[in-house]
Order: sequence, then C-alpha cells, then structure tokens
Amino acid sequence: MINTNAMVAETAAKIYTDLCGRNIPHEAEAGHYPQNLWDALAENGLPLAWVSEENGGFAAEYDEVFGAIWASAQAASPVPFAETLVANWLLDRAAIAIPESASSFALIDGPIASVPFADIAAHVAIYHRETGEISLYNSTDAIAEKSYPLSPDGERRLNFSGVNPVARSATNLSRRAVEALILTVRAVQMAATMEAALNLSIAYVSEREQFGRPLSKFQAIQHQLAVAASESAAATMAATQAASVLAQNKSDTEKAWHEAVVAKVQIGHSVEAITVPFHQVHGAMGYTQEYDLHHYTRRLWAWRDTLDNEHHWSKLLGAELAVTSPDQIWKGVTTGEWVAS
Amino acid sequence: MQRFHFPIIRPDPALEELRGELQSFLTEEREAGNFRPEPECWMASADTEFSKKMGKRGWIGLTWSSQYGGQDKSALERYIVTEETLRAGAPVAAHWIADRQHAPMLLEHGTEQQKLDILPRIAAGECYFAIGLSEPGAGSDLANVKTKAEKVDGGWKINGQKIWSSGAHICHYMVALLRTSPADGRNRHVGLSQIMVDLNLPGVTVKPIVDLSGDAHFNEVYFEDVIVPDDALLGEEGGGWKQVTGELAMERSGPERFLSSYITLESALYELNGKMGSDSHARLGKLIANLRTLRGMSWGIANLLHQGVSPETEAALVKDLGNRLENDLTQQVRALLNDLPEEEWSDDMHRIIAMGILRSPPNTLRGGTTEVMRGIIARQLGLR
Repeated sequence: MINTNAMVAETAAKIYTDLCGRNIPHEAEAGHYPQNLWDALAENGLPLAWVSEENGGFAAEYDEVFGAIWASAQAASPVPFAETLVANWLLDRAAIAIPESASSFALIDGPIASVPFADIAAHVAIYHRETGEISLYNSTDAIAEKSYPLSPDGERRLNFSGVNPVARSATNLSRRAVEALILTVRAVQMAATMEAALNLSIAYVSEREQFGRPLSKFQAIQHQLAVAASESAAATMAATQAASVLAQNKSDTEKAWHEAVVAKVQIGHSVEAITVPFHQVHGAMGYTQEYDLHHYTRRLWAWRDTLDNEHHWSKLLGAELAVTSPDQIWKGVTTGEWVAS
Repeated sequence: MQRFHFPIIRPDPALEELRGELQSFLTEEREAGNFRPEPECWMASADTEFSKKMGKRGWIGLTWSSQYGGQDKSALERYIVTEETLRAGAPVAAHWIADRQHAPMLLEHGTEQQKLDILPRIAAGECYFAIGLSEPGAGSDLANVKTKAEKVDGGWKINGQKIWSSGAHICHYMVALLRTSPADGRNRHVGLSQIMVDLNLPGVTVKPIVDLSGDAHFNEVYFEDVIVPDDALLGEEGGGWKQVTGELAMERSGPERFLSSYITLESALYELNGKMGSDSHARLGKLIANLRTLRGMSWGIANLLHQGVSPETEAALVKDLGNRLENDLTQQVRALLNDLPEEEWSDDMHRIIAMGILRSPPNTLRGGTTEVMRGIIARQLGLR
C-alpha cells in the first residue's frame, strides 16, 4: 500500500478534493487551465516536498510524497504536480535554485527532449544521460516540434539545439538513479489511476440497467471487473515495492533501479488487461469525451511510454538477468535484492 | 483510500539464514539422487522418507508450540520453508496438507489428547492428512455434500463418498465435511460438520484415480457404516461451513499458488545459460517482473496472517493472478527454449517441462476454481 496518511499526502488529497472535482479535467482539456489548483499546491509548498531545506524545500520522505502523487493521479490531475516534483528533485540534486513556477523534466542524449506538459510548464529540468549533468531551461526558449497525440497532458518534443540553459551543473547522479525515481513516480501514478478507473467502472455498472437489472448483476461483468481488480492490486503492489525501496535508499536511489524496472514492466504490461474491461463494461458511454473514463485510460496509454515502453524495459531487465544465475534471479524474486552483494 | 491491503515487509536476516539452511539441504538431497525435481511437487510428488527428513530438521510444524512437537516459529518462517521446497521441486506432498491446514485446525478445535497424540507425528513427517471436501455431486457447489454422519452411541456413523482426495492412499486421516443434520430449507450451510476420520478404520475404502499425466495421487474414498468416536468431531457440530471457508482462505495465498511451475523455469535457466536471444530476454524480463510482484502480494498476506488477520479477498486475488502466472510461465519457458536446439536438452529438463504441461489443468481448479475466486472478488467490489 502507498502511504496516504502522511501530512503531505493528506494536504494534497484535500486540495485535490476541493479544487479538482470531476469537471476540472474536462475544463482543462477545453482550455481552462485550473491555475487555482496549481496555486494551492504551490502555496502549501508541495512541489518542493523533495527539495532539501538549503534549497527552500522541506525534504519530505519519499513515501509521504508518493501518497500525494497517488491523490493527484486519482483526480486525473491536469496540472504538472508529479512532473514538477521530479524536476525539482533533479534541480536540487544539482544545487540549482528552484523556479517558482511549474516545471517538467526530460532525460536526453542530444538536444531533443520529450517533455510532458510542455505547453504549461515554464521550465524544464534536463538530465543529460551522457554526462550526468543537469540543466534548467526556459521551455519557451526551445523550438517546439511535434506534439504526442496520445498524451492528455500536452507532451511535446522540444529542441534545445543552440539554446542556453538558465543553469547547468555537474552531478554525481547516475542514469539509473534518475530512472529509478521517474519510473517509480509513473508507477505510482499508474497504479492510482487504475484504481480510480476501477472505482468509476464499479459505480457505472451498479447504476446502468439493461435487460431489467443493473449490469453489475451479470456474471460476465462481475468477472471482467474481478480480473481488472486483480491487475489493479498487482499494480499497486509493484508500485509500492518500488516506492518502498526508494525510501530505503534515499542517498543512493540507483539501488532502487531494479524494483522500479519491475514496476514499469509489470504495470506497463497490465494496462491492456485493465483498460479493455473498463471500456467494455462502460459500453459506448466510456468512449465519449463527455464521460470521465478517458481521463484515466488515456493517461495509462500515454504513461506506459514514459522513458520507453514496457517491451523495451522487459528486454533490458531480461538481458541483465540472463547473464546472472538462477540463484541470483531467485534471490531477486524473493527478496528484491537483484544484484550480487 | 486504497481498495486492497497488502503490507510491504523488508527481508529479515534471520529468515534469510533459514533460507540458506533449506537451500543447502535441498541441494545436497538432490545431488545425492534422493529426489528428482518435479513441477507441482506439493501435490504430485510424495516421498515419506523425505518428509521424515524434513520433520527431523524441524521444518514441519514450524508455527505450533513445542509442547506439540512444533518449533514456536512464525508463519513467515513457514513461508520461507515452503517457497524453497517449491523452488527445488522437492517431494513434499506427503506432509504438505497436514502441515498447512489440518494441524492448525487441530490446534484450534482438537482435544488435548488429539493434539498430544497427532501433532508431534505430523511434525515428525510421519502422519499425513487428506482433504475431505469434494464429492461426486459437490465440487464448486461445496454445500451440496451428501456424505452423512449420524449420531450413534459414543460416536458417529459415516456413510457416503469423497472424491479427488489427494494422497488419501498414504494418509492416516481425512478431515471430512459431512452432513450431520438436514439443511434448513434453502439454507444448506447449516447442519454441516467437520469430522476427523482415521482412514484405517473398518468400512473405509480408498480407490486410486489415475490422472492424464499418469499420476495417481487422486483417490475416491468410500465410507460404509464407518464408526468414529465422539471426539472425532472437530469444532462445533453444525459449524462446518464456517470452519471450511476460513480454512480455504488460509490456503489460497501461499506460495504454492504461484510457484508450482517455477522449477520449469529454473531448469531451463540452467540449460539456457548465456544462450538467450533478445526475444527471450523480453519474455524473461516480463515473467520475472510478474513473479516478483506476486511474491510481494503473497508475502504481504503471509504477514497479515502472521498478525492474525484473514484477508479473504486478497487471498482470492493472489490465487487468481498466481494460477494464471503458473500457466503462463510454462508457456514462456517453451518459447525461451527455442534458443536451445532440442538435442541439447537434458532428459531431466525435457521431463520437467512435459510434466509441467500435463500437470497444469488442476492449478485453476483446486482450492477453489478461478470462477469461484472471481465471485469472491466481485463480492468485495460490491457487485454481488
């Protein structure tokens, strides 16, 4: 279970309950950005939760903040809360001053970056995979290239070729240390989203009647949602395991890399097993823009591609495990310790 | 608020030490030729000598009091022992069921004399129990049991038939769910009781059923005027239904619900050493991620049980996901083995894969079918 009882998590949950009702994601997509939601998160300092005290944050524990991310995802957050948390985490690691506005993040090898919320986030924190450097850019300084049609959050390809960063700094952060954080954040968002969509589906089939009774009374419907519930519970477990290892390795998040990859692979592969039954039980209603389901399913379809898709990571994980030993693989499965110590 | 509750528990050094002891023992036994690794070993591979060795080392009856031959250890230690024996494909079927469910039942409902008499023998790996639930007319519809126990002077007289009783031919006792009084109209859950039957009593006949793999662990067990004493009644007269549902919830989340076929992967990994192509890497990565996730869920439930909580729905979730994983694992292993020419497969691995396939159908049936599991989950979701 993700810890949703910490103060950070409860504060975020209250803000989302008050300011991100069912209509807000619809309005945001229609062009009415909920600035007041962002302002409330910022006034409470939540985007700075993972930032050190020296840099103006409050250095909250990882698992407390994951509870806040859980709440944001369940509300289909149209503001880049999780993205700003990641961006600020990166900037703090590079001792770069944290901007006040919303930010996004990307990992790049060259000048091109895929940036979620590219049209909304004023800044982008970039991790340069080849050098381990981190830089902060104004997003409007980049050339905006194509947008990603799957993304409900306006993910866009930005070209930083020839653009001067606001700040740039060397770090000792490994690529895997950064990937561990980002994959875990997405895993928590996806698990929360799956559960929110499950709840929506349960409510729908309990109300909608056909053949004179609620859909929920048909065994075919019950079993579809039971399977989806199992996958949703498995996603929560995978995300929680990753979050838990990250919390235990605050100063060396690279140690959480394997569990983060496990979560990425598990959850990415379960998206179809979840979204197919959710849409099926909703009938045509779930396919409309007017109804809420797509706020969740479209995010799942987009997020499973974050830092490459689940097939890419399955292969990477499998290739690494294939050259270890059956003993080491078993140790990983049973204890979560994937590297010989 | 999250819908399902699976706590996360970090590895514990004391438990890992126990794991090491198990691994050394199992490796030695296998290398000495004392067992052949088998898939579905907890059902299909019984060796009473092996069970006695496990008993000698204190690996049966871990959780119960030393007064009754136990080790005063926790459910978590028991979990480590069971998962290691499953991984090894060791011949644990003889003692598995008694250790898992009947000993805890006796501890809760048995007389002091029964506990002192029977539990130390179970812990020694010498006394085995069969499950007595299914009947020809009562499978998923368990409340339809017809086998009867009539009250007679000083005991009960049993007539009827049980079926699919794994291991009954080597077991000493069966705990049978029996009708002790008529159903109350449409409420068939009343009037059922659990009775411990000594399978050596006159009137008991055990007949093997050979399955499609050639194994014969299933049996039909007939009762003809079998007389058992009063204290053979376990728990409350008429409380059988409630006791059985509790018993089933306990047994559904164990590692045998997702690791029964693991030996298939393990044996293939040894032989594929360094020879996997990128398609296989992708399959292996996905499979291992899935195994790690299921282990987390199953371990989370073990911890809840350890704290005295019985999470029925979570157990059903693990069983449904785990059984699907067991079947998927065998199929993925078949695909991985395309990277190794068949003439290079060892006979042992060839046999393990074949048995893994032949023994797969019961995964999704025993301990409650997939359909029953989904019904339990749907009830928690508020759909029924």
